[in-house]
Amino acid sequence: MKKITIKNIKLALVAAALVGFSSSCDVTDLTPANLIPDDEAFTTAARIESTVLGVYESAQRGYYGGAVQRGYPFGAANVEQGDLRGEDMYNDQLFYEITYVGSYNPNSANNNGMWISLYRMINRLNIILGNLDEAVSSGVLTTEQGNGYKGELLFLRALAHHELLVHFARPYSDDPNALGVPYRTFGVDDVTKVPEAEAVGRGTVGADYTQLLTDLDQAEGLIAAGGAFRANKGAVIALKSRIKLHMEDWTGVLAEYEKLKAMTYALTPNPVTPFRGGTSSDNIFSFVNSAEANPGVNGALPSMYGNPDLGARGLVKISPVIWTAAFWKETDARRVAMTTKSATGVFTDKYTDATTYTDPNVILRYAEVVLNASEAYARTGKMAEAVVLLNSVRSRALPASEAEYTVSGLGDGILEAIWNERRIEFLAEGRRWPDIHRLSGSGEMEGVPSKASSRSITSIDFYTGAKPIPMDHSIAYSSTTFIWPIPLTELQTNSTAPIEQNPGY
Amino acid sequence: MKKVLLGFALTILTVMSVLAQTKTITGRVTSAEEPDGVPGVSVVLKGTTQGTITDLDGTYALNVPGDATTLVFSFVGYLTKEMPIGTRSVIDVDLAPDVKTLNEVVVVGYGTQERREITGSVASIDATAIENLVAPSFESQLAGRAPGVQVTTPSGILGAAPIIRIRGVNSITSSASPLIVIDGVPVVDSDRSAVNAANPLANINPADIASFEVLKDGSASAIYGSRAANGVILITTKRGMDGKAKVSYSTSMGINEEVSRFDLLTGDEFVEIANEKRTNANAGTLANPGENTDWQDLIFRKGFTQQHNLSIAGGSQATKYFFSVGFTDQESPIKPNELSRYSFRGNVDHSISKAVRIGSSMSYTYTKILGLNNGANSLSGAIYNATRSLPNVAIYDAENTAFDGFNVTANGATTGFGNNLAGPDNNIPNIGFVIQNNTFRSSAHRVIGSAYGEVDIVTGLTARSQIGIDLTMSDDFQSLDPRHGDGRSSNGSVYQSYRPAYRWNWQNTLNYQTVFAEDHSLNVTAGLEYQFSKFYNFTAQGTDLSDNFYRLNNLISGSYNNQFSGGGYAERGFDSYFGRFNYSYKGKYLLSFTVRNDGISDLAPENQRGTFFGGSAGWRVSDEAFFNSDLISDFKLRVSYAEVGNTEIGTFAAYGGYSPVLGGAGAGIGYAAIANNNLQWETSQKFNIGLDLSIGKVTFTADYFKNNINGLILEAPTAPSLGVPGNSINQNVGSMSNSGLELRAFANVINRGKFSWNTDFNITFISNEVTELVSPLTGTYNRTEVGNPIAQLYGYKWAGVNAANGNPMYYSGDDIVQYNLTSGALGYKAYDPANPADVSVTGAAPTQDYLGNTLPKWQGGWSNSFTFGGFDAEIFTRFSGGNYIMNESVRGLMGQGFSNNHASILDRWTESGQVTDVPKLYSGQDQNMWQSSASNSRFVEKGDFVRIQNIVVGYTLPTAVLSSAFNGAITNARFFAQVQNPFTFTSYSGLDPESNQYSGQLSFGVDWNVAPIIRTYTLGLNVGF
Repeated sequence: MKKITIKNIKLALVAAALVGFSSSCDVTDLTPANLIPDDEAFTTAARIESTVLGVYESAQRGYYGGAVQRGYPFGAANVEQGDLRGEDMYNDQLFYEITYVGSYNPNSANNNGMWISLYRMINRLNIILGNLDEAVSSGVLTTEQGNGYKGELLFLRALAHHELLVHFARPYSDDPNALGVPYRTFGVDDVTKVPEAEAVGRGTVGADYTQLLTDLDQAEGLIAAGGAFRANKGAVIALKSRIKLHMEDWTGVLAEYEKLKAMTYALTPNPVTPFRGGTSSDNIFSFVNSAEANPGVNGALPSMYGNPDLGARGLVKISPVIWTAAFWKETDARRVAMTTKSATGVFTDKYTDATTYTDPNVILRYAEVVLNASEAYARTGKMAEAVVLLNSVRSRALPASEAEYTVSGLGDGILEAIWNERRIEFLAEGRRWPDIHRLSGSGEMEGVPSKASSRSITSIDFYTGAKPIPMDHSIAYSSTTFIWPIPLTELQTNSTAPIEQNPGY
Repeated sequence: MKKVLLGFALTILTVMSVLAQTKTITGRVTSAEEPDGVPGVSVVLKGTTQGTITDLDGTYALNVPGDATTLVFSFVGYLTKEMPIGTRSVIDVDLAPDVKTLNEVVVVGYGTQERREITGSVASIDATAIENLVAPSFESQLAGRAPGVQVTTPSGILGAAPIIRIRGVNSITSSASPLIVIDGVPVVDSDRSAVNAANPLANINPADIASFEVLKDGSASAIYGSRAANGVILITTKRGMDGKAKVSYSTSMGINEEVSRFDLLTGDEFVEIANEKRTNANAGTLANPGENTDWQDLIFRKGFTQQHNLSIAGGSQATKYFFSVGFTDQESPIKPNELSRYSFRGNVDHSISKAVRIGSSMSYTYTKILGLNNGANSLSGAIYNATRSLPNVAIYDAENTAFDGFNVTANGATTGFGNNLAGPDNNIPNIGFVIQNNTFRSSAHRVIGSAYGEVDIVTGLTARSQIGIDLTMSDDFQSLDPRHGDGRSSNGSVYQSYRPAYRWNWQNTLNYQTVFAEDHSLNVTAGLEYQFSKFYNFTAQGTDLSDNFYRLNNLISGSYNNQFSGGGYAERGFDSYFGRFNYSYKGKYLLSFTVRNDGISDLAPENQRGTFFGGSAGWRVSDEAFFNSDLISDFKLRVSYAEVGNTEIGTFAAYGGYSPVLGGAGAGIGYAAIANNNLQWETSQKFNIGLDLSIGKVTFTADYFKNNINGLILEAPTAPSLGVPGNSINQNVGSMSNSGLELRAFANVINRGKFSWNTDFNITFISNEVTELVSPLTGTYNRTEVGNPIAQLYGYKWAGVNAANGNPMYYSGDDIVQYNLTSGALGYKAYDPANPADVSVTGAAPTQDYLGNTLPKWQGGWSNSFTFGGFDAEIFTRFSGGNYIMNESVRGLMGQGFSNNHASILDRWTESGQVTDVPKLYSGQDQNMWQSSASNSRFVEKGDFVRIQNIVVGYTLPTAVLSSAFNGAITNARFFAQVQNPFTFTSYSGLDPESNQYSGQLSFGVDWNVAPIIRTYTLGLNVGF
């Protein structure tokens, strides 16, 4: 009897425990704390604003080598790659060696980083574009808000694709029928959309430029004017000016210039002003870097371009090629006041925060639109107008003692003078490569000019003429390496319709 | 002792008694361990099937014929005892434990099983062979100890986790590491540190471990169901034994040193080479003669290592205990890497009554790791830096007090130039300053514990509940000096992070064991298990320090201008319902069946559950009547098949959506992952057939296995231009198989007088093949494609140096092309063997090809141990091969920039007609000369090696000496000397053939600036009180 009681108690305990288990332990019904599900991302206006900020984030902090670092594509890398493909900034270290000497291949990191981070940005914005109409029709956004976002995203889409075109495709100015880059107008946020996305091929450069303008024309009609730190109407117009310059649509360039001139933009009397805060009348569009979100020590412009004596790393100097060029006057404020020297060379002073890397990355300035217009005037025979605009940029940086350019003085050299002015004005802003690209396409350059030999400019003596500048690394326009190869992974992982590699790679 | 027992039993057997009529015999069966009665003991009338089983209190009652002579008492773990009946009607029996059988009881997951009854593939490793060795964590010493268990220590950084693979690589992008279960608790094995490699298994004191069981095939591991794809390692810690308290103390002290260093240029050689690179490229020279410095002297040292363990074990019949404290401090040969660990363990088992038992296992450890930056291409990475720093420049500059007497440029940007016109490439800092001033400290408090209660409900039926916890409180600190090195650019940085991992696991099992009709034994286990894990972290950082003074120990409020914070949180849950059925007929025919239904939170709710089953059969041929061999004492055949899964597929692998992203424009959300609700379990089908054979003194085990892994959860790559997050979508695509053969033989070769020699040899042959994939998976060095083993080396095929002009040559398809190293005419040129000097024809770029497999095809170990009187010795040898290694360390050291080089660069081409494998030097042409964006066959080498892993020599003092000297206070004492990793025989030219930068599956076999592995010399002492 006693034994039975004990057994019963034991059984009851076990039974009670079993009931306890099954009722108390639901451990698999969990949801991630850090992922807002797809179907909840566009349900409030605040969240949609957040998704748009997410596009800016991807533009400024993309993937390079599998991690967010080095400011791909527009946090800093567009500037660094754009400069170091040219001859006016000099590579002193291994960091930009491949770009500088042109030894990229389908595996090398810089072309991969640019491709991957640009398309990541593009897909982010395409997904939002695909959800905006629904958000407007369901009342989450007002029509005005919806249009504003749409314009903003279309601008960013065009900006990203143009960056792809100048790096991975032959210039429009040579052959609009050359291979373009894939230009998707829909987002991929579901496994089922993969085949349709894979089917989008490279198309032609011409078709891509048409789509760029389609996007920008639409954006122009939707977006409002605003400050330089978000996409705005002025930015759309300025980008159109740049793209039409690449398309050699001179009247188009001038038309865009006229629109901007009518807005509040103006050159700053002091050429350094656009780089001290980024809110000047010259600043049309910039990507913001903050102490918390920036390209980091291995990418930030103030880190890479700054003077080591001022705490920067100084892996990139101003090249003695442009420093010793006759067209850059000794008295030029952009030389006197916007550079610093050390025993090893000359550094740009456009970017100054070498500790927290908060300098914005300047993408579009009014000065560029002005010089675009100057070139368009010159190309269309309006020399006087061209020279006025050229002087408006140049002479603001020169003392009164330096004579202004004149139509007669420049004569046939006017285009050369405009291009040289661009090299000075946009030095260390990444604009050199796009100019080499389009001017080589038009036959006005022969490709990438010779540069100071990588890692050879070891002292300031090369800037003073005391030592001859060793030259190397030119790339003929006809060479395979004039444009970057498509990343190998792109060709290998598109299982249904792999795109075509650039010839020669 | 055994002989005495046997004699005793025989004596009893010979006693016969007078017969009587039918009668009832009652009695009680007890044992030293269970003095209140042993339940479940089989009581059978000898020569019949008539019998019963003892009750909970060990009593029995059995009707027997009057002429019955003998009762047979048997139970698992005890020596079978026969008792003459005689005239008695009450027969009480005291069973003696079967020591031999107890030793062969194997932990199998949720219980134990006798070795002779096992039908799966389970390798047991006795911890005594390895417990005195010096290692940061126990698992590195498992290498080579059991067939099918591959453990690789890829670097000499203390805290870096060894790579463990059981029967090959069994997943492509999910985890390929085995489940580790300590005293029944599946432990967290993810590294929680953000500043150092901090192997979580280094938190476990190896001295506390009694044994390891490695569950290799599907049947053995199927009881772990969804977690078993990569095998299971069960660790049992030491527990108390009945008897007088036994106090043990063991210690060892010694030296850690690097096995090898890089062979670099001297300062003078460097000047010649560096200037030749530049002259050849038409650039001005930069180097001038100066010092002859080996910067490696700065980063390597003889590291002191010590360990101390004190334990007390004992108990009464009802209560048994084991307590231990341990301390170890190990200095790596690479400065300032050091690991110290303080550990405590208390294991207690108590029988409340004969039917109710409780117990607990509790361990606490505090582990501190001082680490370093050893990034393979980090400018402050110790190996990278020390092998590239200019050897003609001094390390120190006593007058440079601003930089603590190190040779650093005045602006702090790089190492001083010495007589050179330029500093080292990439402005690398003075590594001496960096090592002295930057701190990487990770520490962790870890509690692993469990408590169980067991109730015998009715005879043979036992309910058990066990709650386990695994709590890691990980605490990181990193401080970078503002003056020089990595901290300079942010004007100093202090970082701190708290990163706990928390897990509880609750297991409830019902076990029923019975023997019916004498010959049929049944052991059934059913259970349920719940597990919940939580990982979180928060981080604070300050940069731009007001003063270097404040940064040394902790964040100090107000000492920095910029402050940052961050954090993260994730949960994972797991539940399971499982059962196991073991049946044995006379111990001759063995059957086992396991089924398990598991759910996991990482998959979408509709696909969370998976069912896994396994079965196996064994046939003990040697027990058959027809089998009559004096030579073969034991012969068992085993076969098994099971399906198991892999839970380590990534937290919330099936989920997608938007994660928070902080950009310069503000905090937003960014598309982070594409959801795939259809994601299913990754399953492995494991087949095993094996045999166990004892011939004379030799015991053989052989197993053939084949694992097919299907529905691999793959981060299936998407074309980058789709812009899909991570360029991949988790999908069930891909299959892979591993097959192989495992052999083990061990024997007591000689046992003559005072001399004894035991040998134990094992070898495993394994091959891996990927059988299905959506597209090839290509990384920098490796490529995985259908039809090949995973992670083959992939890259450019070297075609030598053109003797005519010194140009490097590679294959482009079937053609050979050369990269023309001539200023103004750089570029790929066609190569014409008939006219090798001709560089007039433009050539295509080199193309890529497969260059070798990275997984060893064979590996094993061979232990030989000897005793002679009080002396003992063990030599343990390990071997592995059939794989290839990409020697990226050397490729990097053949660089064409302004930094130091590997000494083999002295063989560079200098004149026409010279045959060499080093091209003409040319400044800045690393990429084209060495194709540095992928593997290169010039640097691919065979990885075969034979390593003398350990040599241990010990001497145990004679008991008589001890008792006279210490009056019995010391019961045993053994002195030992050991050297770990003394010799390696290999043709590999790098520091060590196991050096590996990567531990994942898709990138492997790349020796790239890892710290050299460690050789250890120690002297030690074991004392028992």
